[in-house]
Amino acid sequence: MRKTNPVRTVTALMLSMSVAAAMMADIACAAAETNADKGFRWRDGVEVYSKVCGYCHGGQVGPRILGRELPPEYIRAIVRNGSRAMPPFRPSEIDDESLAKLAEYIQRN
Amino acid sequence: MSNKYIALPKGISEKTFDSAIADFRSVLGDAAVFTSAQQLAPYIKTMMPVPDSDHAPSAALMATTVEEIQKIVGICNRYKVPIWTISTGKNLGYGSAAPAERGQVVLDLKRMNRILEVDKDLAYALVEPGVTYKQLYDYIAEHKLGLWLSMPAPSAIAGPVGNTLDRGVGYTPYGEHFLFACGMEVVLANGEVLRTGMGSMPNSNTWQVFKWGYGPYLDGIFTQSNYGIVTKFGFWLMPAPPAFKPFVIQYENEEDIVEIVEIIRPLRISGVIPNAVVIAHALYEAPVKARRSDYVTGPGSIPDAAVRKLAKDHHLGIWNVYAALYGTQEQIDLNWKIVTQAFGKSGKAKILTEREVGDDPAFKYRAALMRGDMTLQEFSLYNWRGGGGSMWFAPVSQARGSETLKQMALTKQILAKYGLDYSGEFIVGMRDMHHIVDVLYDKTDPGQVKAAYQCFDELLTIFSAQGYGTYRVNTAFMDKVAETYGPVQRQVHKTLKKALDPNGILAPGKSGIR
Ligand SMILES: Cc1cc2nc3c(=O)[nH]c(=O)nc-3n(C[C@H](O)[C@H](O)[C@H](O)COP(=O)(O)OP(=O)(O)OC[C@H]3O[C@@H](n4cnc5c(N)ncnc54)[C@H](O)[C@@H]3O)c2cc1C
Repeated sequence: MRKTNPVRTVTALMLSMSVAAAMMADIACAAAETNADKGFRWRDGVEVYSKVCGYCHGGQVGPRILGRELPPEYIRAIVRNGSRAMPPFRPSEIDDESLAKLAEYIQRN
Repeated sequence: MSNKYIALPKGISEKTFDSAIADFRSVLGDAAVFTSAQQLAPYIKTMMPVPDSDHAPSAALMATTVEEIQKIVGICNRYKVPIWTISTGKNLGYGSAAPAERGQVVLDLKRMNRILEVDKDLAYALVEPGVTYKQLYDYIAEHKLGLWLSMPAPSAIAGPVGNTLDRGVGYTPYGEHFLFACGMEVVLANGEVLRTGMGSMPNSNTWQVFKWGYGPYLDGIFTQSNYGIVTKFGFWLMPAPPAFKPFVIQYENEEDIVEIVEIIRPLRISGVIPNAVVIAHALYEAPVKARRSDYVTGPGSIPDAAVRKLAKDHHLGIWNVYAALYGTQEQIDLNWKIVTQAFGKSGKAKILTEREVGDDPAFKYRAALMRGDMTLQEFSLYNWRGGGGSMWFAPVSQARGSETLKQMALTKQILAKYGLDYSGEFIVGMRDMHHIVDVLYDKTDPGQVKAAYQCFDELLTIFSAQGYGTYRVNTAFMDKVAETYGPVQRQVHKTLKKALDPNGILAPGKSGIR
C-alpha cells in the first residue's frame, strides 16, 4: 500500500466495493477480493526494528539489544517465544524472511 | 493423547482432526497452516496465572481473504472444529493470542492487512483486521491526511479491529472506540457475508458515515462475542486539531480522588475537556521512573509510606490526572481558564503543562497517547514485579467521587491480602469510568501465580457482590464474569449463539458464550 498512488487506490477500491456491493445477495461476491498482495510488507530489518522493537528496546522499557552482537538464532527464539513480559511475535506479524533480516540487523548494529 | 498435535479440540479425535487439517491445507496451502509446537509457540504464551497448556491451540490458520474464511467455516462446520479468531493478536493481559479453550484452532487474520480506504473529508477509515495502528498512522502521515487516531497504550503493535471488537479504549476525544465504529463486514458461521448498517444495501455509499442502518442495530452483537468473524471494519477518525494542550494535575492524597472526579465530571460531560481523561495512581506511573526494589523488599504489597516517598522522589502525585484540550488556540485559552479555575479552588491541585514537565517520561508518553502518537512506554509496568504476569481487573464505576474512592480502597485491600500492589487508574468516560488495575505478579514464581489467581477471583466475587460489573476480562475468567451479569442475559446470549452458530464453531467460551 505504501507505494501506491492514493488516488488510484481509492478509485480502485470504490470500483471493487461497488462490484462487491452489486453482488451482495450472492455470498460468492467475496471471491472478487483476492488482492491480498496489496497489503503491508516489511521492507527490511531496520524497518521492523524501528516500528516494533525500538519502542521498548530503544528506550528504557526493555533491555538494549543493539550493539551487543546478539546471535541471530537467539533473537529468532526470543521473538517467536517471547521472554517474561515481552510478548512473542507471530510469523503473520513478522514473517520468517523479515525476522532473518531483523536478526542480522540487530547483530550487526 | 495425540503425538502429532500439541493439543486437540475438545471431543475431536486425531483422525477427524487430520481430515480437517488436510482440508484447511487444501484451502490455504501448507505454509499457512501451523500445527507443530515450534510454529505454534507465539500463540501459546499468555500473562495469565494458569498453565499456558490450558490455552494451547491445536493449530493456527492464516487466512488472507474473505473467501478463504468462508471455506474455513465450512470445514469447521463439517468436522465441528472450533476456531478462535484474532486480528492483530496483542490482547495482552486479556489472553494474548491464545484461544479461550485448549485445542481450539486459532484463525489469525494478521496477514489480512489492507487499508481499504481513508476518506479525508468525511474522516473515516475502512480497514482489514490485520492492520496495526502503526501501519495506519504511517499511511495517514505519508498521505498527509491530517487525521488523528485514538489507540490503546500498546499502540504500535495492536490494531483498531481487535481492539474495538473487544471494546477497548484510547485517550483522545475518540477514546471510547466502539462509539466511533461505523460499519462492519462479518463472515457468519454459515458462510454468509453480512455488511452491517448501510453496508447491507447495494450501491450505498453511506456505510462508514451512518451507523444505524434500518431495523435492529447489529454491530454490537459482534463485539466481545463469538457470533461472527469480522473481515472489514469502518471507524471514524478525528481531524487533527489546530492546537493541542496536554496537562497533568497532581494531588497528594488518595482521598483527593473524590475532589478530582467531582471537578472532572461536569467538565467532561459538557465537553470542556473532550478526551478520555486518565486519573492514574502513583503506582501506575511509577514503573516509568522507578524500580520497586528501591522502595520495598521481601514479600507483601508496597506500604503507603514507600509509595509517598516514591512519589516525592520522582515528582509524581499520588493521583495524576492526564487530560488535554483540543481546538483552536482561542478555544483552548478559554477552556484552560475554566479548567484552572475549577481545579484551583481547593488549593490542593498542582497543575502542570508541557512547559513545566514536557521532558518528564510519564508526561511524555501520556501526552503522546492523548494525541494518538505511537509509544510503548506503558510496558514499563512489567518491570515493576518482573516475570511477565499480568491481568487487567476492569470494573466499571460511576463518575462520582465517593464511588471511585470506594472502588479504589476495596481493590487495594484485596490486592494487599495477597501481597500485590495497587497499580490502578481510572479512564474517564462521560458518566462512567473504566477502573483499570494491572494485577501484576511474577509468573515464574509459583507462589505469586497462585496468589494472583486467587486474588483476581476474589476481586471479581467481591466487586460483583457490590453490584460492580467488569467491562472486559481475560480468557481464564470469562465464565465467572458472565455469571455475574445474571441468568437472563446469559440465556439471551446463548439463544443468539444457537441461532447464528448452531454447531458452536466460533470461539466457544468467548464472554462465557457457548
Ligand atoms: C501495557 C499495556 C497497556 C494496555 N493498554 C490498553 C489500553 O489503553 N486500552 C485497551 O483497550 N487495551 C489496552 N491493553 C490491552 C490490549 O493489549 C489492547 O486492548 C489491544 O488493542 C488488544 O489486542 P489487539 O488490538 O491486537 O486485538 P486482538 O488480540 O486481535 O483481538 C482482541 C479480541 O477480539 C476478538 N476478535 C479479534 N478479531 C476479531 C475478528 N476479526 N472477528 C471477531 N472477533 C475478533 C477476539 O476475541 C480477540 O481475542 C493494554 C495492554 C498492555 C500490555
